[in-house]
Parts: sequence; C-alpha cells; structure tokens
Amino acid sequence: MSAACLSSLSRCGVLSFRSPAGQVAVRYAQTAAAPVAESRIKKFQIYRWDPDTPGDKPRMQTYDIDLNTCGPMSLDALIKIKNEMDPTLTFRRSCREGICGSCAMNINGGNTLACLNKIDTNTSKPSKIYPLPHMYVVKDLVPDMSNFYAQYKSIEPYLKKKDETNEGKEQYLQTVEDREKLDGLYECILCACCSTSCPSYWWNGDKYLGPAVLMQAYRWMIDSRDEFTEERLAKLQDPFSLYRCHTIMNCTKTCPKGLNPGKAIAEIKKMMATYKEKKAVAV
Amino acid sequence: MAAIVRLSSVFRRGVKPLFYQGTLLARPLVVPHNYQEQPHQLTARIHASQALNAGSGSKAASLHWTGERVVSILLLALGPAAYFSPCPAVDYSLAAALTLHGHWGIGQVLTDYVHGDAKIKMTNAGLFLLSTVTFAGLCYFNYNDVGLCKAIALLWSK
Repeated sequence: MSAACLSSLSRCGVLSFRSPAGQVAVRYAQTAAAPVAESRIKKFQIYRWDPDTPGDKPRMQTYDIDLNTCGPMSLDALIKIKNEMDPTLTFRRSCREGICGSCAMNINGGNTLACLNKIDTNTSKPSKIYPLPHMYVVKDLVPDMSNFYAQYKSIEPYLKKKDETNEGKEQYLQTVEDREKLDGLYECILCACCSTSCPSYWWNGDKYLGPAVLMQAYRWMIDSRDEFTEERLAKLQDPFSLYRCHTIMNCTKTCPKGLNPGKAIAEIKKMMATYKEKKAVAV
Repeated sequence: MAAIVRLSSVFRRGVKPLFYQGTLLARPLVVPHNYQEQPHQLTARIHASQALNAGSGSKAASLHWTGERVVSILLLALGPAAYFSPCPAVDYSLAAALTLHGHWGIGQVLTDYVHGDAKIKMTNAGLFLLSTVTFAGLCYFNYNDVGLCKAIALLWSK
C-alpha cells in the first residue's frame, strides 16, 4: 500500500511527500503536486549532566530538529535525538502513551509527560527540557525517585482489614456509589509531576508527603472496603506530613492526567478535623 | 573495574547528594560494595520521621488547623461588627483575633522556610515576642486611646 503510494509519487516527480501541513497534505499529494517541504528547524535545549565524567557541570545542550521528520510529541523529539544525534542523552520512557509515568519532566517550564506533550511548532522559540524540579538528578533528565517511592510506601497503599480470616475466600463487594468515589483518584500513575511542582514539597520534601502521595492516602481512606480510615488519618497528625499543603494548586494545574490532588488534600483536611479519635485508639 | 572507577569518581568529589544517588541507584555495577555499606540511607531517614510522627496519637495538628479556620471566620465576622457597633468588647476581640491570626500565619511561614533546630527555636522565640508586643500594644491603645474600631473609622473621616 505504502509502496504503491511512494511509487505513484515518484512518478509525479515529487521529491518528498512531507509538507508543513502534515498528514492532510499527504492525502492531497495523490491528486495535486505537493510543494517541496521546507524544513522547520526547531531548537531543543536540554539539560545535560553526567556524573560519570569527573568535574562535569550541568549545562544546556541545544539540538536542532526538523519537525517535518519528527513525531508530534516531545518524547518523539527526545527519541529522535537519542537515535540519530546523541546516544548519550539519557531519559526514562516506556509506554509512550501516558500510562506508565516514566517520562515525567519539565518542558517549557511545566511538569508534564513528554509523551503527552505536543511540541510547540513555533520554531522561533526553543523548547527547554529539564528534569523534574528540585529532585536529585541521577543523569541528564533522570531524577532520583527514591524519596517519592518511600513516601508512597509509608501510607500503606493497599486494602487493610481488621479481620483477615476471610482473606482470599470471596470478593469484597462495593456498591456502585462507593466505587464511583474512587474515580479521579485511582487513575494516578505516580509520575510525580504534581509533587515536584509543589513549592511546599520543594522546601520540605523530606517530611511533607506531597500531593501525589496524599491523594493516594485519600484514595485508601475513602475506600468503602478499607477498615483503617482513622488510623490512616491519625498517621498524618503532625505539622508536616499533611499540613504543609497551603492550597497552592500547582499540583492540579500540572497533572498530565487531569486529576485534582489539591481537592483530595482539602478533603483529607476536612476528615482530619472530624474523625473520631477513640475509634482509632480502641484497635 | 568500571565499578571501581565510577565509585572513586563519586567519592573524590564527596558531594553528599551524589553519595545518596550512588547508594540508591540499583545499578548492578555499583551494588556489590556501596549498597551494603549504606543500605537505604535516604529511605531510612524518611522512615525515621514517619515513625516519630505516627506515634504522637494526639489531634494537635488537626485541632490547630481547625483553630486557624475558626479564627479566620471570627475575624471576617468582626469586620461588620466593628463597623456597625464599635465598642470596647469588639476592640479587644479584634486585638486578640488579629494577633492570633498573625501569630499562626507567620508561624506557618516559619515552619515552611526555617530549617534546623537552633534556628527554629530562635525564630519561634522571636515570633512569640513579636505577637506578645503586638497584643500588648493593641490593648494599650484600646485602653488609653480611642480604640481600634474608631481609629480605623478615623482614617476615612479626615
């Protein structure tokens, strides 16, 4: 099919079927002579730092990419650079469709997933790509997520029952309404875009849990099948774990999945003010 | 061999963040030596603070949060009260609510930005002094002068 298309194009004497108008023009190329594509060179400034080179200092490296020969997303550009220009460029990526959360990075000043971020086609301005802000950098665009994962572990993100004798015997059923409460929470892929966009997390990342982890804490608190809601709340009774949130809402603004961690944290604060302490102590 | 070269380059620079990375990166080259020397250094530090917090068992933090909301709402209500019925009771309530609101507000800022035990103690003492002086000053003004409500009303009268 594509071979037929190519041969028909070459018969018309068209050198390249790529054009500024992109895919639409490909279709028209069948009937009309397509204009010779003029290259759209876009500059990418990418943060580089290599710990294996002694004395190496962080720097910005500029790569020129012709958008006509590159996919539409920032991740496509990064992969193109790594494949064709500079194999030493280091970044995490996996699913390329916004479900794994590996390629979280700071693109043009905002935390997002490179795979879900369209390249700004304005070629007069360079795209700047940094690792997630205020994280220890392992290399280039790869941040150290150990602290983030340890915090996630600390909220015990799994179903907890007081009586475990029925475990594995039958399903724990949930009403449709109870299940609906988890919508907008369970979709989180833990890419850490929100946590690393939060100034409170920048200054107190060691003690403040951050929006991503707190939203998951809330997800387990309101799960109708979980029986440790009060204990989970009691664990946040200190000035730092939860109360470093000042409703800045950078988390909600930046979330590449369109979730609302800011609201989840506000709901936790409401629950913290009203839960019964005795119930938590009794067990 | 490569592992040794890498390790030595890390140690020569002796930068702390780098050191953490070296221990936490599960790169096979580094794991054999480094990992056992400092198992989960960063992680351990986090868990320590978690355990400390978890053992508190009091509702102090959430009560403080509730208190802040209550004072904020009271302050909102005191505005109209001061406008429609300026009296000593409102004057002293305003003095107390404003001071407490400011004290807790600045306290949050200090908790955010001031790190280190000694510095925290110093700034807390300074804040307490500031709030005390503020409250005493406002009460002095209420007692010896026209009072807060009228003083603010005077701003418009001239």
